[in-house]
Amino acid sequence: MSSKFNKELKTLVKDKVISPELADKIEQYYTTKDIGKPNKLFMIFGIFGALMVGSGIILMLAHNWDDFSRVTKTVLAFLPLLIGQFFVGFSILKNKSATWKEASGTFLFFAVGACIALISQIYNIPGDLGSYLLTWIVLCLPLVYLLRSNAVALLTVILSTYYAVEVGLWNYRSAQTPWLYVVFFLAIIPHYLLLLKKKISSNTVTIFNWMLPISITIALGAFVGSKGNLGFVMYITLFGLLYNVGRLSVLKELRTLRNGYLIIGSLGTVWSLIIFTFRWFWDDEYPKMFTYDIQELYIALVLFFVTVTVFGYTFWKKGIKGINLFQGAFIIFWMVYFFLSSVEILPVVLMNMLVFALGISAIKIGADKFNFGILNYGLLIISVLIICRFFDTGMSFVLRGILFVLVGIGFFMTNYIMLKKQQKIKKQLKDLQL
Amino acid sequence: MKTMHIFIGFVVIALVQIFVPSQMIREQEDVLKSGNSYRFKTMPIDPTDPFRGKYITLNYEMNSFTIADTSFVYGDKVRVYIEKDDMGFAKAVRLSKKSLEINKDYVVTRVTGNYKGVVSFELPFDRFYMEETKAKDAERAYTKVNRDSLKENVYAKVYVKEGRSVLQDVIIDGISIQDYVEK
Repeated sequence: MSSKFNKELKTLVKDKVISPELADKIEQYYTTKDIGKPNKLFMIFGIFGALMVGSGIILMLAHNWDDFSRVTKTVLAFLPLLIGQFFVGFSILKNKSATWKEASGTFLFFAVGACIALISQIYNIPGDLGSYLLTWIVLCLPLVYLLRSNAVALLTVILSTYYAVEVGLWNYRSAQTPWLYVVFFLAIIPHYLLLLKKKISSNTVTIFNWMLPISITIALGAFVGSKGNLGFVMYITLFGLLYNVGRLSVLKELRTLRNGYLIIGSLGTVWSLIIFTFRWFWDDEYPKMFTYDIQELYIALVLFFVTVTVFGYTFWKKGIKGINLFQGAFIIFWMVYFFLSSVEILPVVLMNMLVFALGISAIKIGADKFNFGILNYGLLIISVLIICRFFDTGMSFVLRGILFVLVGIGFFMTNYIMLKKQQKIKKQLKDLQL
Repeated sequence: MKTMHIFIGFVVIALVQIFVPSQMIREQEDVLKSGNSYRFKTMPIDPTDPFRGKYITLNYEMNSFTIADTSFVYGDKVRVYIEKDDMGFAKAVRLSKKSLEINKDYVVTRVTGNYKGVVSFELPFDRFYMEETKAKDAERAYTKVNRDSLKENVYAKVYVKEGRSVLQDVIIDGISIQDYVEK
């Protein structure tokens, strides 16, 4: 039990909120409760230790010792692998604690990487980084489920993202679509869902809640074709998906900072839509419109379908009142992009209105929830929109100045009003208690 | 009981983890033992990107084949049939997408371009791993050899068997590049 908690107990006793006997009882309760639970600190150090040793071995082997014979090198390649396998086998067989499993799994993960890397070096195997990463991921993915290891699952997510980017973006000579990334990603999902079910508010889940959306956001870039016409459409749809996932009732209870889907989805949506509020963007994009890369179109359609399904599910469960504009923004964008883009200036006007409405709706959400963060986020969206309009409209300086002042006053006023309201409610509560 | 199942599952994975690298070794050893040895003249290492990490990139003189056939397009998997000239250097004799009934070794690669009857490709064994401390010296050695126009003396020793190829060594002036660098 943490010393902070003990201190807190003492203060409570001192301030006569609880009796000393009760404090003793509480202390006893927590000490006995913690027995048998793995020590978190041990787990973290175990994983980090394995991480350092494992990657250290990879680095040492990368030195490519010329003086060693081929046999020596081969033995060196297999030694860490066998050691790792021994420890993993041991922790499974003896049903060791999660700490053991996480640490040994992490070590084995790197040992596998080191082994195939060294063999590639010994024989100058030409395969590029992509195929190396692929072999590595495939050989280690089952460990996630055999060990129920979060560390290995996270490493797999990171490596898969690396694989997607390497194959789809960096490998300029023969860029391919990294379809296997989708397979790897889906393979991790059951593990993640189980984790969500068991301990939703743990830090581990928070890490996953951030890593998964980050990974998919990065990896989607590898699926954008060489023409990339539909890249933005794909991304806006993905951000819509992430936001909608973040609003699902499973995740909705989490604190906003623990919900990476919501934050990435919201920021991404606003960011990409703001780009479409510029007129030159539509002017430049439009002529190329009907020469879509067919693969891009399919990916965009699949994404759209999935997102609409998630959106529709929420709609069906909660009705129109349980939905905010951020969730449906991607549908509006799709309609404008595919049906109205040829109508002169209309799409630009609509996009500006959409972003403005998003800002207003964020302000409303913030006001309803008494959340200053969300409130100011909404104000920020509107300010950014106004600043952007300064770049492509010929407004006079006086008008711009007035607009800036107005937005500034808006910031002050809304925050002030909400603060007052909050204080009033607090006072009412106090009165009620008295 | 459940532990046992998981353990058996793990043993299977562990065996696969050992089997895959072993298989890699076995294949390479097989080519080295029973494959034919060829010399591929290599052009001085790509000067813009000579050392990525701990390996050197090799550019081969054999990188195209003159054949008026527009059916070869970028990305096609092709077999480059080779034979030895008097000096033991490899020479491309045929280019084909399908297997040919001729008694010659071949290297599998991909087409990188087809322009004016010349189909270009890149030989797959383009990286040679070296000890990190020697990488810089190897670069200098290459530059020197290039300046002295001893191009003929730089070649890669490659074993070829049934389409698989293993780069065994890079030779400068008759000796292995690793020793040449130490000299």
